Amino acid sequence: MTQYLFFSGKGGVGKTTMATATSIHHAVRGKKTLIVTTDPASNLADVFEQEIGHKITPINGVPNLWAMEIDSDVATKEYKERIIGPFREVMPEDVIASLEENLSGPCTTEMASFDRFIDFMEGNEYDIIVFDTAPTGHTIRLLELPVDWSKHIEQSAKGSGQTCLGPVQTIQDSKEKYDRATALLKDSARTTFIFVMRPEALSLYETLRASKELETIGIKSGQIIINGIFPVEVCEVAFFKKKYESQQQVIKETKEAIQKPIQYMLLRDNEVKGLLGLSDVALELFDGSRPSATSETGVLMLREAAVAHPDTDKLFLPDPGKGTKAIFFTGKGGVGKTSISCVAAVHIANKGFKTLIVTTDPAAHLGEVFGVRVGSEPARIMDNLFAVMIDQEQAFKEYKERTLAEARGKYSEDMVAAMEEELNSPCTEEMAAFDKFVRFIEGKEYDVVVFDTAPTGHTLRLLDLPFDYAKQVELMVSTNDSKGVKTETQNRFREIISLLRDRDRAVFSFVLYPESTPMMESYRAMLDLKKAGIETQLIVANLVLPEEVCVKDFFRNRRRMQMKYLKVINEKFGLPVLRFPMMQEEISGLERLKQAARLVL
Amino acid sequence: MKIEIYDPAMCCSSGLCGPAIDPVLVKVNDAIIWLKKQDVEVERFNLAQQTKLFVANKTVADLLHKNGKKILPITLMNGAVLKTGGYPTYEELCAALGIEPLMTKPIMLHVG
Repeated sequence: MTQYLFFSGKGGVGKTTMATATSIHHAVRGKKTLIVTTDPASNLADVFEQEIGHKITPINGVPNLWAMEIDSDVATKEYKERIIGPFREVMPEDVIASLEENLSGPCTTEMASFDRFIDFMEGNEYDIIVFDTAPTGHTIRLLELPVDWSKHIEQSAKGSGQTCLGPVQTIQDSKEKYDRATALLKDSARTTFIFVMRPEALSLYETLRASKELETIGIKSGQIIINGIFPVEVCEVAFFKKKYESQQQVIKETKEAIQKPIQYMLLRDNEVKGLLGLSDVALELFDGSRPSATSETGVLMLREAAVAHPDTDKLFLPDPGKGTKAIFFTGKGGVGKTSISCVAAVHIANKGFKTLIVTTDPAAHLGEVFGVRVGSEPARIMDNLFAVMIDQEQAFKEYKERTLAEARGKYSEDMVAAMEEELNSPCTEEMAAFDKFVRFIEGKEYDVVVFDTAPTGHTLRLLDLPFDYAKQVELMVSTNDSKGVKTETQNRFREIISLLRDRDRAVFSFVLYPESTPMMESYRAMLDLKKAGIETQLIVANLVLPEEVCVKDFFRNRRRMQMKYLKVINEKFGLPVLRFPMMQEEISGLERLKQAARLVL
Repeated sequence: MKIEIYDPAMCCSSGLCGPAIDPVLVKVNDAIIWLKKQDVEVERFNLAQQTKLFVANKTVADLLHKNGKKILPITLMNGAVLKTGGYPTYEELCAALGIEPLMTKPIMLHVG
């Protein structure tokens, strides 16, 4: 019987490293092992240092190990073809085109990736299948889908017989498959969820949240890996000593808060890459052997690339008369987007501009950073600064209520009931969140709106939505009656798209760590944005080790590695790079934020 | 008596899945509700979701072949073509079916 291991946790916590190390551990012990990623910004290829792609690929140098990166684009194409293929011969071209267009919405993408992912849970070909899943928020949604979907399918079968998810016949054919998958996910004898976290308060908070959310849908299994712990022997300098102590405190709290087996993983002085590095991690993870504190690799001394501080004020402050400016901090989850967005927002507000900071992260922790409760209505943080969180579920409820309230005065009860049923679809959920998100840019109320966006894959989908929507709108039956509605909606989306493409009105910045994997991921994401006509304008390199505190070899090595990547980042992106130093304590509370803003911006 | 409506490719039958509600689709849905109350059998098919049925019905398949998708929506009454390229109104449907339209709808539509 195949065992399933799911790695959960925000991106950037080391999920991929832990998942690959685990798969190597099992493979070398003779277990036939497959590692699959569903992360839209997958980096398995970077870690294994070989091409993988959207097919099951044997890993060079490790017997019994295969890997696959599910490419959501390819999965969608395959899924669409399965539906449309049979009609190619018998339907005219324009009908086929309209079918294809109809299947290009966000629902289809979600459906297709999920469908592909479930395929691995049929069959018994492997002893162990490791899923290096997408970041927390996305993971939760992905895993909750089978539950929502089977509910949705049952409901729709009773009602209109139509759903938002593609051909109802196809879904009916798959219903049993989805139910089987859900049952497997909940079977703790066969499925284990492994939460990877860093020894930081926010990370613990997120892990607790994620594990509780899974518990509510009946998934109780779980293990914890705490990754990136500072080795005590290298923490003599006060700066690191303090960090070490705060980490140990979080570790203690984790033990108290979560009744699950915990594994510990020390921070290394260099990045983990290639089979040697991964095997070393596997040894520590499973046999408890400590890594040597310093490695031989980081010895190449690099001169720090000359750093010009980018003109952040030019990027962040609004031009008079140009309307609201939108600033996006994007990048992998866990790289510090929230903290950096908050620092930027505090800085802009201090300059006298009315600023709103918006989080779209499903595992939002804006409130934690500000030390103030942040909800679905903008709350005042300080002079000129307001914060709001887009809660997808809440937005969905509001959107549904608004639509139904409008309908109640107009239509019969039966009609409203029919609408209510149709509105219970995952598509409506996406739409509702996006609708909210857009409103904050459209409103003229703020000079600047700073978005602490969701993890990369999610963000891109969110930003891609206007394009999908525009297409969706075109699908509406064109008659005189509906032309008014159509034009209005189309104009609205056209305006948003052109705003996002206007460098003076929207600024896209990538937050990353100066390390290989986050750099590669951001680079791919930047190219993706470019395809949508959006130019990235700034890179923020976070957690750069301050030179003056790096007196031990361990940290000197790590800093050298960072400097090496900062140089590569400069060359690869050709964009201004803002260095954000590692702070002695986590940035939370207004005073710390203000201090950080003064220091960095 | 049986009415069949072959819709173009849409996300949802009621038009509610889009970012704005299409009043035409709301009206159609309303008409269907009233006809059902009058014991008329009404079935709707969405090109995007029940494509097989568009191929299976010879009348519909032929119309589509000759004219392409602009012929949709197609409304059939007892298997014969009633209207193409647009939706019939409730009153049109009643007239074709030879039934009296319901005079006292609880709430009238304000759209259209």
